[in-house]
Amino acid sequence: MSDPQEASDPSTFLSEIIGAPITVKLNSGVEYKGELSSVDGYMNIALEKTVEYVGGQVRNKYGDVFIRGNNVLYISQDAT
Amino acid sequence: MASQLLPLELVDKCVGSRIWVVMKGDKEFSGTLVGFDDYVNMVLEDVTEYESTGDQVKLKKILLNGNNICMLIPGGDGPGNSMA
Repeated sequence: MSDPQEASDPSTFLSEIIGAPITVKLNSGVEYKGELSSVDGYMNIALEKTVEYVGGQVRNKYGDVFIRGNNVLYISQDAT
Repeated sequence: MASQLLPLELVDKCVGSRIWVVMKGDKEFSGTLVGFDDYVNMVLEDVTEYESTGDQVKLKKILLNGNNICMLIPGGDGPGNSMA
């Protein structure tokens, strides 16, 4: 419908990146990399194939995680 | 009196241009504003994240949570790049 380069509001961006590899950074500085399975208006996030990074170092790996939206600093689309 | 420019109208004028975002705490971001919503959650492109340690991280495209945003500087390109 619209050119992806055109102005996209937050909800459009979120729908564009469903299923894509993303990085979620929390206010604490902890990062989670994985595939975005879903997200809602609170920025609650369900991630698959998740890798947890603390201080840039891999700390843990999880199959599925739920992240409560109030902790989210940003959601970044990973370079592919 | 000239018609007022509402705060969010100022943000809307910045869509498509570079902005500098100062968060609560020490963190800052600069990038091209792609879009935003009523909470001032923002989609930014070609982003530099400035950490309190002085480290810089480059990010292609992000959705920044508006909850911890303190200030937006239209046309700003991050700390050290604003006023010559």
